[in-house]
Amino acid sequence: MQIQWRRNAALLLGCAVFATAGIAGCGDDDDGGGGGEGGGESAETGTTEGAKTIDPASMEGAKGDVTFCLGKDTSGDKTALNKKFNEENPDIKGELLEFSTSADEQRAQFVQRQEAKSGECDVFYSDVIWTAEFASQKWIFDMTPYVQERESEVIPATLETVNYDGKLWGMPQQTDAAFLYYRTDQVKEKPATWQEAYQRAADNDGIVYQGAPYEGLTCDFLELAYAAGGEVLNEDGTQAVIDSPENVKALQFMVDGVKDGTAARGVTTYMEEESRRYFESGKATFMRNWPYAYALGEKKGTAVAGKFDVMPFPEFEGAGKAAILGGHNLVISVFTDNPGAALKYVDFLTQEEQQIIEFRDFTLAPTLASVYDNGAIQKKYPFAADLKESVAQARARPVSPVYPQISQAIYKNVNEALAGRTSPEDAMKAAQSEMQSALETF
Amino acid sequence: MVAPSMVLIAIVALWPIIYAIWLSMHEYSLRQAGLSRWASPAGFGNYQDALQSAEFWSATRVTFIFTIASVILETILGLAMAMAMHSAFKGQGLLRTVVLVPWAVLTVVTAIMWKTIFDPNLGFVNSLLGTSTVWLGQEPHALMVMIFADVWKTAPFMALLLLAGLQVIPGEIYEAAKVDGATAMQRFRKITLPLLMPALLVALIFRTLDALRAFDLPKVLTNGANDTTTLSLLAQRTFQENRLYGEGSALSILTFIIVMAVSFAYIRLVGGNIRGMTEE
Repeated sequence: MQIQWRRNAALLLGCAVFATAGIAGCGDDDDGGGGGEGGGESAETGTTEGAKTIDPASMEGAKGDVTFCLGKDTSGDKTALNKKFNEENPDIKGELLEFSTSADEQRAQFVQRQEAKSGECDVFYSDVIWTAEFASQKWIFDMTPYVQERESEVIPATLETVNYDGKLWGMPQQTDAAFLYYRTDQVKEKPATWQEAYQRAADNDGIVYQGAPYEGLTCDFLELAYAAGGEVLNEDGTQAVIDSPENVKALQFMVDGVKDGTAARGVTTYMEEESRRYFESGKATFMRNWPYAYALGEKKGTAVAGKFDVMPFPEFEGAGKAAILGGHNLVISVFTDNPGAALKYVDFLTQEEQQIIEFRDFTLAPTLASVYDNGAIQKKYPFAADLKESVAQARARPVSPVYPQISQAIYKNVNEALAGRTSPEDAMKAAQSEMQSALETF
Repeated sequence: MVAPSMVLIAIVALWPIIYAIWLSMHEYSLRQAGLSRWASPAGFGNYQDALQSAEFWSATRVTFIFTIASVILETILGLAMAMAMHSAFKGQGLLRTVVLVPWAVLTVVTAIMWKTIFDPNLGFVNSLLGTSTVWLGQEPHALMVMIFADVWKTAPFMALLLLAGLQVIPGEIYEAAKVDGATAMQRFRKITLPLLMPALLVALIFRTLDALRAFDLPKVLTNGANDTTTLSLLAQRTFQENRLYGEGSALSILTFIIVMAVSFAYIRLVGGNIRGMTEE
């Protein structure tokens, strides 16, 4: 019995060891580099010197294979476009490599390949918040010469997300900016300011947004903070400047909304889907959400079908307007053995013809300004003009190689303040110091 | 035949641990990508940082509260369920199957389900209780919901292990005790409990180690807000999201040490008991 017991215990310990080590063991492979050469020396912040630059002429007559890595193509748009690409470009064979639906997992998959210097992904569908990190690691091509040629076609705000260290590291392909949804049966006139919107909300059924501690709250907060005139990082991204009167004011505004019951009860635990269900059940007058909620809200069976409309964000009283950009950029891996074909692929996906298909058939907002003015599009999507305005007034989230920690510092502390556990002043102070130490790890 | 299996164990189990330990003793600089990615060895610097951070101690506290509360509740509930399933009655097979359903559901699905049920506006908990509590948005309610969801999911697992233990206790012992005039309570305390002890301890160890590593529940329910960040969640966030490989590995190793210590304590404390009991 005793021996038996011991053996069982050893077995159990084995399991525990294995599972615990799994957390640490799931990272990258050591490339064996380093060792002797001056590891301690630090270069200038954000240096991207010596990064490979793409040659626009390399597209001409490109041949071979291109692998496009992206998250799971659930809507099927990229599969359709890939097929179209192969039909129109017989010399190049485009292929999709689909990762998980989870954004964190997509990033992890790409990071692992780049750390191993794998050329498996020629083109990657990078979330707008990752581009700076990839650039700082010299994992992707500097695409400045190509993107500059097309600068006039693209909505300028979207270029902010590919700009790091003064160079352009990708081609914006799909964009997104949130709307203020409002109930047309309760609100007759669009509010001109956030303050007015909250006042109307208080008089009716309130407002719902994303207040849970995650990336979504970072967006929701920054939309108000940027509008109020606040900033997160200084110009060159080396210093945290979030602890400012403007940011405190924006946060105080949100906190007041939670305290006096204007914001939905439990908003501090809500993400996009919870907010959408809440609004669709007819419980809120306003909702801050991405455009995807529009078509779903108009479906039969919701309490709000035919009774709501969308508008770009109003201005923050006494300050300005802002929105936060979502979406994806196309970046090219430096480990590709066929940059010409990769660029050709990127070029194809960002042509007007393809962007119209993506918007018309898959409701994915394009980055080319002209698409929004297309008659067929405007007919199908009455909010196209509003969306263009939203995107145009939108800004990128802080561009930094340590963005994940910056965002955590924002959403964690803002959530604490919303839940009433800390004051807006203290929350911004805490965010400031957490960000500063995160910046120092780089 | 021993050699190949040892090699296999070394590759599969030992290597990741050694690698994690090695990582934890180095400073990984994001800036030196591609050039010399590993700065000078950090010694125990990452451990020092972790042990001095309030986050680590808060996560340790949360992990232990979660583990102790959920394991105790699961054991009591699981034992009751096992006893109920053990007694012969019509539809026994069906009950055993039904009881196991929560265990078969993925933890992530469990978490999403309870998150919906505890939604302050649309969930049915508030309408049932007539309250307007924001369950996942405040302390200590969020942790309570997490414990509740864990108990709901794993009590059946406990019950199953304990049922197996109950079934190997010979019926004659109970009959003899009945003849001697032992009451139901006496039979439970003097026969069932001691003879069930080995199965109970295996179940306890399983659940304790599992609970100490809780990750998916807090990740989905609250993403660590409102005092629900467990050690695993903290380690994952540091390592994977923030790519602080050194610090993240140090946190994993510390978690690992805690889990090891608890398992040793178990074996020391109760391993001896078992020997004593079986030798009696």
